[in-house]
Amino acid sequence: MNTSTRRKKRVDQLIRSVFLVATLLSASFIIIIVIFIVIKGITPFITNNDGLGVVNVWTFLTGTVWLKGTAFQSNLYSIGFIILNTLYIAFLTLLLSLPVGVLTALFIAKIAPKKLAEFLRTIVELLASIPSIVYGLFGIGIILTFVYNLSSVFGIQSKGGNSVLATVLVLALMTLPTITAISEVAIRSVRKDIEEGSLALGATRTQTNFKVVLTSAKSGIFAAAILGIGRSLGEATAVSLVAGNAKSGPNLGLFDITTTLTSTMLQGLKETTGVDYDIRFSVGIVLMIVILITNFILNAVKKRVGNVNVK
Amino acid sequence: MKKFLLLVLTITSVGVLSACGGDNEEGFDTSKNITVYTRDTSSGTRAGFMEGIGFGEAAENDNVLVDGFVTNDNTAILTAMKTDEYGIGYIALASLNNTVKGLSFNGVAPNVQNVINNTYDLKRPFNYVLRAPGDYESPEVEAIVNAFVAFLGTTDGADVIMDQGAVALESSKTWDEIKNDHDICSADNSAIVIRFGGSDSIQKVAEALSAAFAPKCGNFVPEHDHTGSSDGFKRTQGAEKDGDNAKDIGFASRPFKDSEDGVDGTQGQLAWDAIVAIVHLNNELDNVTAADLKNIYAGDFTTWADLFEK
Repeated sequence: MNTSTRRKKRVDQLIRSVFLVATLLSASFIIIIVIFIVIKGITPFITNNDGLGVVNVWTFLTGTVWLKGTAFQSNLYSIGFIILNTLYIAFLTLLLSLPVGVLTALFIAKIAPKKLAEFLRTIVELLASIPSIVYGLFGIGIILTFVYNLSSVFGIQSKGGNSVLATVLVLALMTLPTITAISEVAIRSVRKDIEEGSLALGATRTQTNFKVVLTSAKSGIFAAAILGIGRSLGEATAVSLVAGNAKSGPNLGLFDITTTLTSTMLQGLKETTGVDYDIRFSVGIVLMIVILITNFILNAVKKRVGNVNVK
Repeated sequence: MKKFLLLVLTITSVGVLSACGGDNEEGFDTSKNITVYTRDTSSGTRAGFMEGIGFGEAAENDNVLVDGFVTNDNTAILTAMKTDEYGIGYIALASLNNTVKGLSFNGVAPNVQNVINNTYDLKRPFNYVLRAPGDYESPEVEAIVNAFVAFLGTTDGADVIMDQGAVALESSKTWDEIKNDHDICSADNSAIVIRFGGSDSIQKVAEALSAAFAPKCGNFVPEHDHTGSSDGFKRTQGAEKDGDNAKDIGFASRPFKDSEDGVDGTQGQLAWDAIVAIVHLNNELDNVTAADLKNIYAGDFTTWADLFEK
């Protein structure tokens, strides 16, 4: 072995250990964060909270009122209705953003002329990088007014537009770029020969796009849906600005005010102390579990439906 | 299928168009429900408002409020009142602008003059209490505390207070004009800790004041531990004045009680915390009483007609 090869090997090893350290560092941070949240979050259930008594896990997970009694003097917290609200909103959001996102992706990948496709792709990437507070301000300025006026068209008096619908619209706007970008990649990577086979058999372009391209890309589209739902479950800032932050529920009407796990954590976080502070970490644990379970289920479904092979 | 799609499309577009076309021309409809907006239970503004309208039990308890109230922060409530014709909310007076209607309280218009001349009642005082003269850790600490109180009465202090959304008392002198009366501030005080405590509603104002004043007074170290108004007196001149939690300056976001009567010259006011009830500009209401607001927030008045026809 000559010196130059040996040196190359040493550099190789050095770089590999740098990568290892970086990986360990980021992985350990995730573990530290989880441990921190879990420790903080179980405090209300295992200590007597400065004389208020232990929070009951069962009522916490099933109740329909956020806090019964006076803050700082009561331990009767419940988030049962909030879990339900959160899932309901995430589902409605997906119902709205998935079709629109996938159709946009199809347009960009298959139908639009090259220049236009390039332009639209940039726009989608830009949209994906807009911070959530901006979406929230847009929601408070435009969407709330829109929903308020829409509700009065239907003869319903909404609470200033703060509602399930406004939340869903804001979240749909936020998840749309993610869903579009990932579906677009999936659609583009559908093998050309499948498509050409369909066309050769006499199917029209539209038939091919819907029946062949989309079905072949469904595994990737499912991945987009999973990421989209993750974003809508985890969004706090924008949601708390347009949800109305209901304190009891469940809130299922489209024009009813609502609340989600994240917006509940955020409400008054900076001004509160004691069990009222710690309980927000408990909500955080529940949120992590909800996200884990949702992802698990969606991945299982994805495995069952996404059997067509795309990259 | 196609027909169905077309139908859905038509209905949605009609709905969207008319929603964009927006504002209801028929004027203020008093048969509509009142939409109640509030801050959350940890907010000092909420405590001030609820106590001001005689509904103190709602300060930290959501269950006594009317069903279906909207919880949001100061800015979001202000913005909501631009849209929601039938809403009512409350904000710090400092945030009031002409995009919404600020209601007179018991017949007095909500503005800074009326707060300072003490005619506008939906407010609470921000008071301070010091240790008794000579009862400090060192003469230096006492001198800095006295300089701080002098600073509260300057226009520089007033600016800081106004920035935090409270209403400062009248002041005419700047700190530069009076700083020569406080020699201590030209010394290096970076080793001296000044302990602030008492009302947590005043915490933000107090922190802003100490942060603004420390560089002007030899960089003393402010230490804030705000636990509630009753600890303001207790930890400076009361039962805990020599305990571990003792403070050099305490605050109370309410008038001092008879049992909190300190040594002459050690208690005073630094600001008012004024709150204003707000409604949409189209609302015909101009004035409310404390009882009106209590009835609205407790859910005894659910429509605007209930209020107008009481």
